[in-house]
Amino acid sequence: MKPALITKNLSYWNRKLHIHLGLVLLLFIWLFSLSGLILNHGGWEFTSFWEQRKETKTVTAVAGLATLDSAATIGAVMQQLHLTGEVSQVTFAADSVDFRVAAPGRVSDLHVDKKRGVCFQKQLLYNGWGKLRGLHTFNGANKEHPALQPTWMVTQIWRLSMDGIALGLVFLCLSSWVMWYKLGKQRAWGAGVLAMGLAGAIYLVLLLKMF
Amino acid sequence: MKKYYPLVRQLHLYLGLFISPFILIFSLSALVFNHVDYINQVSPIKKLPDIKTRLQRIPYDTTDLATAKAILRTLNLDGEVDFISKDDDHISFPVHKPGLLTKIRVDTHTDSVVITRQEVGPLRAMTYLHAMPGQHNAKMRGNSGFIKVWRVLADTAVYLILFLSVSGVFLWWFLKVERTLGVYALLTGAFLFIGLLLLLLYPFP
Repeated sequence: MKPALITKNLSYWNRKLHIHLGLVLLLFIWLFSLSGLILNHGGWEFTSFWEQRKETKTVTAVAGLATLDSAATIGAVMQQLHLTGEVSQVTFAADSVDFRVAAPGRVSDLHVDKKRGVCFQKQLLYNGWGKLRGLHTFNGANKEHPALQPTWMVTQIWRLSMDGIALGLVFLCLSSWVMWYKLGKQRAWGAGVLAMGLAGAIYLVLLLKMF
Repeated sequence: MKKYYPLVRQLHLYLGLFISPFILIFSLSALVFNHVDYINQVSPIKKLPDIKTRLQRIPYDTTDLATAKAILRTLNLDGEVDFISKDDDHISFPVHKPGLLTKIRVDTHTDSVVITRQEVGPLRAMTYLHAMPGQHNAKMRGNSGFIKVWRVLADTAVYLILFLSVSGVFLWWFLKVERTLGVYALLTGAFLFIGLLLLLLYPFP
């Protein structure tokens, strides 16, 4: 195949993918844009969630924990309480286990007394804005122990989706550069605009720390 | 509506080109947030030598932030003060610039200070920008010039992304050859979106 034809083909698919990938990602782009805006504007009254939270405290009898190790205890308690979510902040003691189960819009802090066979649960439920914030940041990453992977399959799927959306956005940016480059006489204006954006980004990421 | 097509196309192109480097910052940093363990392997944090020195004439009888900024001025440093910890003997605070984390700990009795610095690299610099101004410490956020600027840029980026997405749909609709495939692309996206939200917000017990 001639180089000119290859370039034409690549250009055709680049444009086609730019259009259709953008359409596939449309709702995700809106979700992350809106939630990002809300996270950066905590003072917006209409998006407040903390004051509207529903907080419940329950004590539940849990059976069959005596012979289980700590990890199995967590699984058994979650099953008996019909809880699902990402498990974190686990601390073990001789006769008790403390842990958190979280999903966007829902956080449960649990203290399991294995000796008495009871579980103390404090659950917070957030409104729609709280859920939206949660979706933006919910990736199961553990800052203290970065090597730990998410414990909940849904977290892994959501994390994978976030990776896909991020890579999709990278492609949308790069493909737009290709399409701009193919413009010919309009290229100069685009070069100026792109250079301004690039200069700002490079200054912030690489150069600012030197001054 | 079609008369607006050339204008929308120009705006989509030029605004998109301008904001694309910032979209890259948000996208790449999202990958870093999700794969911290991998990033720690490929881009380890570099600790710089500690600096020990002594301060003079620091006003402790004002707000914590004013004290922190006075300390920074004396040390000829700047950056965004993240938060401030204070007890009877010490005042300490981290100061961020994208790619550089400085921690300052001052003995308020002797005015001696220990400065620790970490070069965290461009990938973590992007995650810092991604998370700023963010939802924490809203009252003191924006205490440096660059975060004030970044706050505006980050908002601008979001509004422009929203514009680009809507204008993208507008432009696609007028491309008759792409319309059918585009509808399938939209439906696929909607199906994935709704499915994932149902999984996350209404999980099976």
